[in-house]
Amino acid sequence: MGRRIFQAASFTPTATADASALANATYMSIEAGSATQAIRVKEIQCGGQATASAVNIMMFARNLTNATTPTALAAPNGDGPESGATAALAAPPVTYTAAATGPQRTNTATTARLNLSFNAFGGIVKWFANLGEEWEIVGTSVSVAPSSLSAFTGGNVGLMGAHIIYEPL
Amino acid sequence: MKREGYLVVDHSASPGLPEDIARQAGYDPKHCGEGKVFEAATLTCSHCGNAVVKNPLRTRERGFCRKCDHYICDLCAIDAQSPTYVHVPFRKLADVTMNLAEKGVVLGSPRELLEPPIKIFIP
Repeated sequence: MGRRIFQAASFTPTATADASALANATYMSIEAGSATQAIRVKEIQCGGQATASAVNIMMFARNLTNATTPTALAAPNGDGPESGATAALAAPPVTYTAAATGPQRTNTATTARLNLSFNAFGGIVKWFANLGEEWEIVGTSVSVAPSSLSAFTGGNVGLMGAHIIYEPL
Repeated sequence: MKREGYLVVDHSASPGLPEDIARQAGYDPKHCGEGKVFEAATLTCSHCGNAVVKNPLRTRERGFCRKCDHYICDLCAIDAQSPTYVHVPFRKLADVTMNLAEKGVVLGSPRELLEPPIKIFIP
């Protein structure tokens, strides 16, 4: 399948502890479209848009608890294929920044999470995975699958934009 | 190393990160201050699937799983030394999850436990 880009143009994350529901419009979350779908996350980029120094302790981590009733993305946020020739998926991955109840970040020491801290006043952080070494999202079971980009406790979070490039298999 | 990912934290036009935050994220604090750019290789753990910032100055042995023939992170390396450890790489877990899903079994906490039904007690 083709690569897709999930992006949030501008949002202010809220520093949230692990195992706490994330508030709407403070995170980006991605889930497989079905229990048998696999997704590979290839790149994550966060760019600072704050007008004063603001440390964002961003974490891309697996969800301890899935969100309930994710809200469909609305412009200027979006999710679409990199190539215009990409065929439509029968079960597209679920990407969202809001839900009836937000997802909770994992608090388990051996569950994966990427720490992407940066200063949102002009700072940029970008992670690229090597081929075959991508962050994998498999099915819909928590702690192996759905993942979200959110701010961990600490720092004085500021405005930022981000994109996640991924490929459903 | 052919399996390395790449991380760049660009504070060339930013005040940068305080030392404690940079250390917490696994960055080199000397390259995360004002006007600095931090670039590092990342290694993906084959057991938990996490990506770890590689410390090029490390002299201790890095975790390695002979069964996977792949790097594993420190936490998984400690787990793997336990006499009761059962080798389950992330790809295996993914396979099991997908196979069970095809049979209609979804791993994880049952929804009934997360959202217990309301019970009305009638004496």
